[in-house]
Amino acid sequence: MDLVQLQRQLVDYRTSLYHEGFLDEQFTQLQSLQDENNPDFVVEVVSLFFEDSERLLNELSKALEQQVIDFKRMDAQVHQLKGSSSSIGAHRVQKLCIVFRNYCEAQNVEGCLKCLQQVKHEYGIIKTKLESMFQLEQQILNAGGSIPV
Amino acid sequence: MNKATNVGIAGVGTTKYSDHMVVAPSLFLAVTTIPYLSQISYVGLEGLFFSYYIDGNQTLSTYANSSFSSRKKHVWYKQPVDNQTGKLYGEPVTSHSFNVVNTSWFQVALNHSWGYSSLENGWNNGGEPLFLTSVSLLGKGVIAMGVPVKRLTDRLGGIINLYGGSLSLVTMDGKLLLNGIPNTKFIYANGTIFLQFMWPNGFKNFPCSNDTPETYKLDIDGKEYNVRCSTVEISGVQSVCYPNYSFFLVFAVFAASSINEFWFSVIPLVFFVSSMITNAQREICLHDKLIKQMEATQQAERKSMNKSLALVGASHDIRAALAGITGFIDLCLANAAPGSDFETYLKQMSLCAQDLLGLLNSILDTSKIEAGMMNLEEQEFNLADLIEHVVDLYHPVGMIKGVDVVLDPCDGSIIKLSQVKGDRGKLVQILSNILSNAVKYTVEGHVCVRAWVGKPDFETKILASTRKGLGKYMSSLFSGKNDGNSDIKAVSAVRQNRDSVEIVFEVDDTGKGIPKEKQKSVFENYVQVKETAAGQVGTGLGLGIVQSLVRLMGGEIGIVDKEFGEKGTCFRFNVFLTAFEIQGDAMYGGTNSSFAIRNCSPKLGICTPSPKLDGSQVVLFMQNIERRRVSQKFLESLGISVLVVDHCHHFPSALKKIQSKLNSLLNSSRRSDMSCRSDISSSSSKEMPLSAMEGTEHKLPFNRRKDTPSFILLVIDVNAESFSELWRVVAEFRRGLHSTCCKVIWLDKPTSPCIDPKRLNPDDEILLQPFHGSRLHRVIKLLSEFGNLSQGLSSSSESSKHPYGKTRLRHTQCNDEIQGYVSSSNERYSKQGSSSPTLEPTRGRLKSKRKNKDGAESSNGEKPLIGKRILIAEDNKMLSILAITTATQLGADVEHCENGNEAFELVCDGLKAQRNYDYILMDCEMLPMNGYEATRRIRIEEERYGVRIPIIALTAHTSGTEAMEAGMDAHLNKPLKTNELIEVIESIETKE
Repeated sequence: MDLVQLQRQLVDYRTSLYHEGFLDEQFTQLQSLQDENNPDFVVEVVSLFFEDSERLLNELSKALEQQVIDFKRMDAQVHQLKGSSSSIGAHRVQKLCIVFRNYCEAQNVEGCLKCLQQVKHEYGIIKTKLESMFQLEQQILNAGGSIPV
Repeated sequence: MNKATNVGIAGVGTTKYSDHMVVAPSLFLAVTTIPYLSQISYVGLEGLFFSYYIDGNQTLSTYANSSFSSRKKHVWYKQPVDNQTGKLYGEPVTSHSFNVVNTSWFQVALNHSWGYSSLENGWNNGGEPLFLTSVSLLGKGVIAMGVPVKRLTDRLGGIINLYGGSLSLVTMDGKLLLNGIPNTKFIYANGTIFLQFMWPNGFKNFPCSNDTPETYKLDIDGKEYNVRCSTVEISGVQSVCYPNYSFFLVFAVFAASSINEFWFSVIPLVFFVSSMITNAQREICLHDKLIKQMEATQQAERKSMNKSLALVGASHDIRAALAGITGFIDLCLANAAPGSDFETYLKQMSLCAQDLLGLLNSILDTSKIEAGMMNLEEQEFNLADLIEHVVDLYHPVGMIKGVDVVLDPCDGSIIKLSQVKGDRGKLVQILSNILSNAVKYTVEGHVCVRAWVGKPDFETKILASTRKGLGKYMSSLFSGKNDGNSDIKAVSAVRQNRDSVEIVFEVDDTGKGIPKEKQKSVFENYVQVKETAAGQVGTGLGLGIVQSLVRLMGGEIGIVDKEFGEKGTCFRFNVFLTAFEIQGDAMYGGTNSSFAIRNCSPKLGICTPSPKLDGSQVVLFMQNIERRRVSQKFLESLGISVLVVDHCHHFPSALKKIQSKLNSLLNSSRRSDMSCRSDISSSSSKEMPLSAMEGTEHKLPFNRRKDTPSFILLVIDVNAESFSELWRVVAEFRRGLHSTCCKVIWLDKPTSPCIDPKRLNPDDEILLQPFHGSRLHRVIKLLSEFGNLSQGLSSSSESSKHPYGKTRLRHTQCNDEIQGYVSSSNERYSKQGSSSPTLEPTRGRLKSKRKNKDGAESSNGEKPLIGKRILIAEDNKMLSILAITTATQLGADVEHCENGNEAFELVCDGLKAQRNYDYILMDCEMLPMNGYEATRRIRIEEERYGVRIPIIALTAHTSGTEAMEAGMDAHLNKPLKTNELIEVIESIETKE
């Protein structure tokens, strides 16, 4: 594929992410913070997000398997997840976290399980999507092009 | 699942329904997706039994808490099941128990890891025979799935061409499943099956072996029969190990049929059976999608059914009555005195009636929309006027209930847009529908209408063009097999839609709100949310139509989630319109758009030059919180210094404060005022771009001191306090002023005026509520920085009455300089290529040139925070990286710590070393010491040094009250945004 086409594809892909609500303007904000001094900023922050989320999701899964569920702790963890997802603009994950916290507050195990499942699902999607976006960007860079804004 | 059921069972005291919750959904999933499956059960060794089965058309469930233990104690229940959801409903009835555990299939399946197949009787009334396949779940329980024998025999009888033959089916242990061969019976003896042919003269037995298929020839009454026995595995799981539980197929072919045809028939039969199982597995995987689809389909079906029912009821009679009303209004209008209130109300009535008629037509046209036959009637109109008109229509409705209907100009982008092309009528319909709902369901508080232009960047443009049906070009473009032709088309499509703009609307109320689970269904026709609709009438048709209309205009509508604890509902929708003419000149903050500076629109005439040069002071005294907030935000965004008073007790003291400040500064500023006044050039003020002003500010010899308000505008809502009391306070304030001009705008209710015009100053004016839209603009125009054009509110506001109204004058030599700035900023602007001149205040202190809300401008090298030392205390790694990078990019020197303790220590060190931070960004929820505590300690500590470091709270919540109480100066919502940070820092600096 030639460069122009790749670039178009990236723009289109990114648009679809915004359009389908996977990302919100916070991601734009994130991208605007990346400059020549800090060329991998977005990738770095997003990888941090991945690490963070995976750890939290694991902890949450474990917490829900316990005999006595510590909802307070879970609430705090979901809060963290909400914070980190909102800071990269992972819109859907963030929205789900809000629901999740309500369930934690209501100490609703079933709701929590369901939400956790959904959050995991959404997280999986956003992870795949972001990774393929980065790959696309990398391809463009390798081909000697610049990332379209 | 079902709470009622839960209670019912708990009452009996034997079954914990929640246990069943674990298995029920998966079982239901299987029973709905696996073809032919009529019964599925879970038998757990822990004592749980749960089963779904189909009896006739009804799905039933039978369950028990204990399938073994003491026979006497455990109770079996039977209960009907909702075919769609798998939920149980109705009363559970006690049913006879099944002896599950002792059956051989259960024992065999349980003790072996492989599955097991057998022929059993089902749970349903007839005890219909089933092929039961049971699988052990790690030895803890057994899942058993049953397929009715009848399903198989029906199919065998129906689908297979036997070429004149007939077919019997018998199990290995002699149970007859299908007997299709006349005059025969099966005999089971010593583990072998014999087929016995009977005819009048006698009978003959043929043994059926399970190893090799055998064919017998038989001649009876001159007819030749071919008889063949063959084994067939029906439930193919591991039957090798249990050959005695697979089934015999006994096949007899009459007359002269060839062996070939015979094989032909057997093969599809076997294939059918085995493919049944593979299909089932695949279909389970598709289940999730199926359920979703089903939901959507059901919604659509409900929608369409309800619609046709209600449409039957609608008739032309309604239109006739409405036409009558309109006619009489017109008659009254003809008699009303021109210019009277009466006439105005009649006109509004007439408008309402027309809207109603339009709505009615729409109801009858709903089917048209659904069928996609509704077309947009595009025309040119003024968007800002339209929104204001609609809001004003509902303002009186709200007033009666004590609900204020507020129009929030947001970033002012709508005013800039002005003329657009689109379907005016439908837009009005959408807006008024949502707005009327909001007003209807709000009992106290306010309804806020916001509108702004979506970001017109490249992405939304693609989006816009895609939505207009050109998406196929785009997608073919990216699909990889595009040809040059479609490529060109795509590009031109985007270009054609270049001036398509996205307008986003929000209608935010403080009513009862819509329960989360109902939010999906409100957009269905004829649905009203019962809890909130008590005592409210309506067809429930509104939002359904609204949704269709919004989609027709290329947008989407939805309910925005409110922050936890906030009341009410917030609807948001967007539509795509054609920007007919971008009136860059009509905007207030022509700050960055030097291209539009020369030709000021006479319509609004608020083209801004430099608010900061001489602050007019505006005092807002209004009762309604939201209106106060919105007005303040908007005025401040224009760079106007605003003082808000929320309570009448504070009003006099606030005025005194201004007064004393004025008087102390007056002497120093008076002289320059005088000299300024001598040089008045009427038009120059309109021609100054702000960017130019900014640069020249310090060079202007006649520049006044910034913090001296030259002109004080009081906006007073007379509903807040009795008019005479307010008048007294204002009169006193006036007396205390020396030469500073003061003007009062009295806001009055349109319904019951309580202002005595005779007592007012000739300068003062009365405005009727609502104070927004064009009324707000007119007030802004009174301010000298915004031109104070003579077509202000009344003839009394002539420029001559405001001595500082036209001090905006520059010397000619200054003008040259300014020209230089204009051209240079022009160049800079065109280089940037930014397309959206957004409304942004530019304040002198930080010299930031922000292009848009994303703070994307930071790339242009402007570093408003350069030289500032900022401490960021934040424990979340990601958020801290974000904050650090944001601040660093703005030029700040950033230090970071992870909790309140560290922050406190760092601040103490700084205090000792006399190297203080300029700002602290403090996360509120940190461990071990949180931000509030840290702030309290810092405040105590720094007092000893006589310093006060501005602390900005970073919170995840909207309200910053706790932060303020802890002594923080401002709060920002996480995640940190560039423009918000700048704004907050600016406002802190201004306060200082």
